[in-house]
Amino acid sequence: MSLVKGLVTTMRTAFRRTTTKEYPDVRPELPPRSRGVIALLEENCTSCMLCARECPDWCIYIDSHKETIPAATPGGRERQRNVLDRFDIDFSLCMYCGICIEVCPFDALFWSPQFEYAEFDVRDLLHDKERLGVWMGTVPPPPALDVKAAEPAEIAAARRPPRGTGLVGP
Amino acid sequence: MGVGGLATSDMVLNIGPQHPATHGVLRLKIVLDGERIVSADPVIGYMHRGVDKLFEVRDYRQIIALTNRHDWLAAFGNELGIVLAVESMLGMEVPERAVWLRTLLAELNRVLSHLMFLGSYPLELGAITPVFYAFREREEIQAVMEEATGGRMHYMFNRVGGLREDVPAGWTGRVREALTAVRRRLPDLFSLVSGNDIVIARTRGVGVLDAATCAAYGVTGPIARASGLDLDLRRDQPYLAYAELFAPGGPGRVVTRSAGDCMARLEVLLEQLEVSLDLAQACLDRLETLPAGPVNQRLPKVLKVPEGEHYAVTENPLGFNGYLVVSRGEKTPWRCKLRSASFSNVQVLSEMLPGHLVSDMVAILGSMFFVVGDVDK
Repeated sequence: MSLVKGLVTTMRTAFRRTTTKEYPDVRPELPPRSRGVIALLEENCTSCMLCARECPDWCIYIDSHKETIPAATPGGRERQRNVLDRFDIDFSLCMYCGICIEVCPFDALFWSPQFEYAEFDVRDLLHDKERLGVWMGTVPPPPALDVKAAEPAEIAAARRPPRGTGLVGP
Repeated sequence: MGVGGLATSDMVLNIGPQHPATHGVLRLKIVLDGERIVSADPVIGYMHRGVDKLFEVRDYRQIIALTNRHDWLAAFGNELGIVLAVESMLGMEVPERAVWLRTLLAELNRVLSHLMFLGSYPLELGAITPVFYAFREREEIQAVMEEATGGRMHYMFNRVGGLREDVPAGWTGRVREALTAVRRRLPDLFSLVSGNDIVIARTRGVGVLDAATCAAYGVTGPIARASGLDLDLRRDQPYLAYAELFAPGGPGRVVTRSAGDCMARLEVLLEQLEVSLDLAQACLDRLETLPAGPVNQRLPKVLKVPEGEHYAVTENPLGFNGYLVVSRGEKTPWRCKLRSASFSNVQVLSEMLPGHLVSDMVAILGSMFFVVGDVDK
């Protein structure tokens, strides 16, 4: 009878080792590309707003102000720089698409596989820049690429001869 | 008209929107005469998000994040449709390595989707065990998908012009191992489902759908093929690398049945699973012979699609998934219409259910393989 066939499978499986990993006791091993939480390296951020603009559901909030740095040498020029006041990501809205990380021209945003930040109140899912900075500690190095992959753009660029060395003629 | 001449009145029964058999928020308004269904009316829209409109205010990279969400069991297939549409409007050539990687990932995604339904369908029939076997295999494949893309459901790995980035070192070897493991253990799942007396009793001759009705309602995918409608876009209108895979002598073949009942639909799914595993294997073999190269194209900072319209349709695990993109030269589409497989597949329920018993309704509903997000869009 066909039902016995199924029961045989069940019996065989019953004596195999379990594949279930019991989560709180056994930590999952997540690959480095795993999209768990977004980490912010504040020093790299120039508050250019690209991430906030490109976000498909606009869940990144950035405030900044300009600060004037006095001239370093006498007679030099004053410089202005952006100071980040607020950098919040609302993880209750975030779609985890990773576009912000992709568009960041200064490598200020990173994915971390860390996922244990569930909250009882949805409002607590708004992470400010201090909390986003803490996640930096959990960011793994990116995995090496396949042997058949093209050279990463950074390495290819480094190999090219530098442009405009200022030397003209012999 | 009543049973045995007794005076009875029809009863209207609502199945759902919150009902375990509808796995999602589908509501069925059923008129009953005793236990027999007189008419059935699927009421949809409980999860309507208006994606067509959401597409119009997002650029072509942001759209990918949305497309991957309507059929959440086939995110990779969904992403593929929209990028193929945009690429053909741009006249963009995708690197060969990206084409084969995309084909591989699409087939892995098909395996994932089919395994999900092979687990959940017996569950609806009352068999609790098969779902555990299905999920054990799913986990194997999901692990390699996650390693490459970073996501377990919403992969976000396609980009216009190729893929987001190349796969990690040693990944292809791990895919090979996963495929071998799944293939080795599939007989376990098959032994629980196919040929089982209870499954046969619940499904054979139940919910018969003929090819003409399928065509009239636009039913596609495994359901249409179970009714004898020999239609598969991978062979009939090949995209990606399918032309080569479905060529004579290739590993690709279209699985069809002629019975059109729940049993046939289940069998099509089981057999397609094996075909997809073969296709994935063939993609891996092919990837090894390809020269090293990029997996994407350099894109301009602001990607604008030239004026015009294009309809791209792909074979998703559940049927045809099409995007009609109308561009007026902006960085967002002027109109983007989504044709989802489950939407059409669910409409045919009003034809199928009348005349069946309420207890068979669950068996029929489960065999229609739909995802509510894909129905409601």
